[in-house]
Order: sequence, then structure tokens, then C-alpha cells
Amino acid sequence: MIEARITDGRIALRNLEAQIEGLGPEAARASACVDERVRLIDLFALRGSILGAIADYEHAQELADRLVGDANTTAAAFLARAQARELFHRFADALEDLEVAERLGAAADIVNHERAAVFQGLGRYEEALGIRQEAARRSPSFNSLGALAMLHAESGDAERALHLHAESVRRYGGVSPLPLAVLEFQLGVMCMRKGDLRRAQHHLTAAVRYVPSYAPAQGHLAEVEAELGHAETAVALLYPLATTSDDPDYAGQLARILRYAGRTEDSRRWRQHAAERYDELIARHPEAFADHAAEFWLGVGGDPDKALRLAKLNFEVRRTPRACELLHQASLATNSRERNFYQCPAAVPRSGAAR
Amino acid sequence: MSDHFSGPRALADPAADLVDLFAFPVPDNPQRLIVVMDVFGKAGPGAIFSDAVIYRFRFRRARIAATGPGAAFGVDPDEVGFDITFDVPSGDDTAFQRGHCRTPGGETVSFSSNDERGGTGWGVRVFAGQRSEPFFLDVHTILESAETRRLAFKKVGSDTLYGTNVLSIVLELEWAELLGSGPIFAIVCETLRTGPRPLRIERLGRPEIKNVSMSFKTFDQVNRDLEIRDLYNSEDAFALMPDYVGAYRARLNANLSFWDSLDGKTDWPLDEGGNHPLTRLLLADFLVIDTSKPFQETSYFEIERAMLAARPHFSPGGRWLNEDVMDSIFTLYINGGNGPRISDGIDAPIAWSSKVFPYLAPPNPPKVAAR
Repeated sequence: MIEARITDGRIALRNLEAQIEGLGPEAARASACVDERVRLIDLFALRGSILGAIADYEHAQELADRLVGDANTTAAAFLARAQARELFHRFADALEDLEVAERLGAAADIVNHERAAVFQGLGRYEEALGIRQEAARRSPSFNSLGALAMLHAESGDAERALHLHAESVRRYGGVSPLPLAVLEFQLGVMCMRKGDLRRAQHHLTAAVRYVPSYAPAQGHLAEVEAELGHAETAVALLYPLATTSDDPDYAGQLARILRYAGRTEDSRRWRQHAAERYDELIARHPEAFADHAAEFWLGVGGDPDKALRLAKLNFEVRRTPRACELLHQASLATNSRERNFYQCPAAVPRSGAAR
Repeated sequence: MSDHFSGPRALADPAADLVDLFAFPVPDNPQRLIVVMDVFGKAGPGAIFSDAVIYRFRFRRARIAATGPGAAFGVDPDEVGFDITFDVPSGDDTAFQRGHCRTPGGETVSFSSNDERGGTGWGVRVFAGQRSEPFFLDVHTILESAETRRLAFKKVGSDTLYGTNVLSIVLELEWAELLGSGPIFAIVCETLRTGPRPLRIERLGRPEIKNVSMSFKTFDQVNRDLEIRDLYNSEDAFALMPDYVGAYRARLNANLSFWDSLDGKTDWPLDEGGNHPLTRLLLADFLVIDTSKPFQETSYFEIERAMLAARPHFSPGGRWLNEDVMDSIFTLYINGGNGPRISDGIDAPIAWSSKVFPYLAPPNPPKVAAR
């Protein structure tokens, strides 16, 4: 945690809502200036990432599509749409938009920053690393070092990620808790995937302390708590999320933990809820939800064949160690003849807690 | 909202994003001085102040050190400051936030946000809360002017800020008691991160320095690709770092020359060093107010214009809430007052400020949310 005082997480979230409300419907219209429309897209994407609200992501994408339609000679519009497409794992489309933005005169460092994010999503860590390292070398700031820390976290280099995280936080000059919470969250997820549950608990708790309503951090913390044998704590964390969120991940996790706790009827109800929602989302955004849906069907969802189909799709979209591992697990579960093909020697070790 | 979004860093936390500073004598009582700091442009109804930010007013005694082409202020090294801080709202009623104003003597005046009576004591009266945006301008035509390099203002413009709100802090004070002998003071406001060593986030003095005067990069032949405003924001308004002054000067010289060119004639010839005559005064980026002069509706930059013309000033300077300051600035930059007043086509905000505490009009009703 940072030592300097930062804005209370409840105030920060309230002010994020106030920014969206304050921009009003005008900012979504064609007559609004591009900067303001981009700002609104950014705010919806940010709120979506904090509250785990898929509707916000969808709205960001819708606004970005409209912006490109209205301002198809403006680099900022294509940059905004690239970011929105990235939210839904439409990585190839995002790269195309970045190319257009570059042709329209977008600054190389901005385009490369986004390109690195796409490469990271695709599992092309070497290419992402080249860009992130160069940015951090030229301007070692909270943002550049934090981005590098997150890349190392995702690629599984815990030691480097933790070191860069500390360096990044040391340079933080702002008062918003949101960027700090996101960093802690990424580290928490990394530790969870490595099976270091105590450290994952520490970082995810820090993220929630920064921003109490940070839904993905609460959700992952619940998973860690469950793995640590604190099923009731996990259920208490997940229940409100599963009830209010439009992301089926929370309902799916809740169903899994309730089943292990022997609460079969409750588990069945939440499983059904998650299953229906995953089907809806897969129909609308197959690339974005293939991995989580595959995990769901592989586990509490109880449909390994469906899991394998989705894991294959996910692996086609991005060849990350995690995608490979998921495909391997799905192929084993279905006793697929392809299971040996999907062995992933370089994959991140999969803990029981990791999804 | 003359300073809204004045750099990438300001975007990260809207409650620390300074948007305007005003200073004027109380209309019927020149012994009292008003300063207003606005933050959080386009604030939605739920917007509140950060509990991790110090909202600071700084006052220094100033004097006219030189007139004519080398016009300059002298500013005392000693200063007086007022720090306003806020608590995290507690309980169910989150519309009210407790605030505290620390006076130069170390006394604290506490108050509740959005209470129009404000908090009173120790020679000050302080209000904080959501109010109607008093500033008005047409951003589209400013950007179009910069892009096309010709004046794009329309007879009837479109107010970019129509119907929007800001978070305001209004401080009324007995200047002789709290600031010492004047009568001229230099004033800035700042947002700082709270902590053992407060870190400046933003600072603001004159309107539209960082945006209209500094943001355009294309005219600057020295630092064409430099986003200069975060650096500028982080500086002490009363003591710019010599290392960077050249960069600020180059940017202002270039952009002020651009504005001067828009009417097809040169009203501000550059000196032999390539400096625009306004650059030095604008880099003294604080509001200057003469408390010996009575309130006037239109007074921004009048003291400075008098200094350049080597004549006595007649107004208190500073900046009144209802002044059409964009027209004042464009007239100054484009024709130097040697021609008709230049209008951006917006002549009023949605609601005028009053001459009664807390001066700014109540907030506008919420818009239909963006979705």
C-alpha cells in the first residue's frame, strides 16, 4: 500500500459516476467534440473494469463504434475503438484500428502503448515487453513501470513484477486510488495463479481496501478465501456480486463454492443463473468470454464438450500459457484424442484456485 | 472552467482538477475580499471533494515594479495561505461533507458543504459545494480557429458549458486583518496531495493560460511535441524553475503570436529577442488585485494593461464571476484593444452569479445520465 494519503475509494467511485453523469448525454452525440466523446468512452470502460459491469463495456464499445462512424479521419477515434475492442478480446480488430490511428497521425508512443496491451492479451509477451521496456527506460513513471509490472505479472515473472510494482508505487504522484487498486489486483491474480494464496490474499485485500466496491478484486479474493478453507467468507463476498453483477463469473464461482460446501440446492440455482448468462454472452462476444465460460463448463457447469469447444476458440484468439493450459485441461476432461497435442510445457502452473 | 483538463495528470482525479480562480472585492464592502476556487468541471450531482487533497489559496503582497514594454510586478517573498480540507462523508446523508478552513493563524473554521450560510469565524467566511458553472465559452470555435488559423467565432456561438456544474470553494476574508497591508496582492490557488510533504497537483492563477495560451503545440518551433502543462502545473507560481522558463516562454511567444495574427495585422510586435510583449506578464501567472479600488464588473487584466501603457490603473483587477473573460482575453490577444471587442459568440452563462454570498448560482438540475 502507498504511504501517502489518497482519496477514499468510496469518494473516488462516486466521483467516477459523477464524471459520467456530468458529461451527460451530449458527450455521446455526434455534435460533441471528439475529446469529450473519447473521455466518455474511457470513463465507461473504467467503471466497467471496477464494477465488473459488462454493460459498461458494451456501452463503451457502442460509443466507440459510433465515434469512428462520425469521425473516420480522426486518429483519436480509432484509438478509442481499439481500446474498446481490446476489452472484448477482439485483438486482431484492435490492431487494425491502431494501424489506422497511426496512419492518421496518432503519436507513436501512444499507439505503441496500446499495441503492447494487445500483444499482452494475445500472449505475444516478447513483443509487448520490448515496447514496455523502452517506454519505462525513456520515462520511468508510475504509468510506464506499472504497465511493465502488469506485463510481468501476467507472464508469470513474479519477482520482477513485485519489484516493478514497488518502484511504480513509489513514483505515484496522484490522489486517485483507482490505478493503485488495479495494480494490486493484477499482482493478486498473478499470485493466485502461481498458487501463492497468502500473497494473493494480501494484494487482493489491498485492492479492495483502496476501492471497496472493486468487484473483480472481491471476486478473486473470494476464490482465494475458498482455497484457504474460508468458504463462508468466500460466499459472503460473492453473494452480493452474483446478485447484482451482469458478469456470470461471480454466480459461477458462488455455485462452485456452494457445491463444495454441500449446499447443493443453492449451488444448482446459481449454476443455472451463470449458465444462462454465459450462453447469452458467448452468443454476443464469443472471443471475450470463451475462457471464463470454458472454465465454468469444465467445472461446476458440468459440460466438458462445451468447455473444449470454447477452450479451442479461446486458444485460437490468444495463445497465452493460460489459454493453452485451459485447452489441455478441457481435452483431458473429454478424453480428446488431441490431448497430447495440447500439452503446454511452458504454461503457468495451475493451482486449484486459479481460473 | 478556464483551466479544466489542463494536462494529462489533471484528468486522473477530477476533484483535484482546478478549473477557475476568481478574486474581487465584496461589492458593497471593499474591506472584504472574495476568492473563489472551482474544481471538477462538468460535475455530476454526486460529485464531492477529495479527502486527500488540500485546496489552498496563497496570497503575496505585490507592487508594480516596472511599466511600459518591460512591465512587471514585484512580489514579496512572504505569503499568507488558507488551506481547505474535507472529510469522508459519514452516515447515510452523503450530500453533506464536512469541510475545514485553516487560517494563517492556525485557527480552523469548520462548515458543511452545500450550506449557503457557510462557516464563519476568525475573519473569514467559507462556503464549499456544488454550484452552477459561471464560466462560458465555445470550445469548438477555439479549436477550429487553431486548426484553420483563422478566426472561427460565430455571431451566436454554442456554450460548451451550458447547464453544467462545478465544485466551488468561496472564501470571504477581511483582507487588512488577515493579509496585512496591501493594497495589491498576487493570488493563486492550488490542489495538493495531503501528506507530510504535500505534493502540488495543480496550480492556477490567470484564466486560460494552460489551455488557450499554452496547449497548442503546432505553433511552437522549439518544443513542437512537448505536452508542457503537467510540468507547468507542478511549478511554484511565485518561483518558476529557471531550467524550464525558456520552454514556457517559447510556447507562449508562439501561441500569442498565432492569436495576434488572426485579424491580419500585428498588434503585438515581438522584441529583438523574439518575445511577445505579454509573455512576461502572463508568466507572472497569478491574479493581481488592488484592494484599494472598489468592485467593478469588468476588471480582468486592467491593471496589467495600464502598466503596459504606463498609466495608472482604475479598477481592482482580479476577476469577477460574471465577466466575459474569454472576450476580454481574445480582444487582448488578437487586437490588443486596438479594435472592436472580439466576441466568441457566447455572452452569458446559464445563470448569472449574484452579489450576495456565496455569489455563485445554485447548481443546475441533473441532466439525463449519459446512459
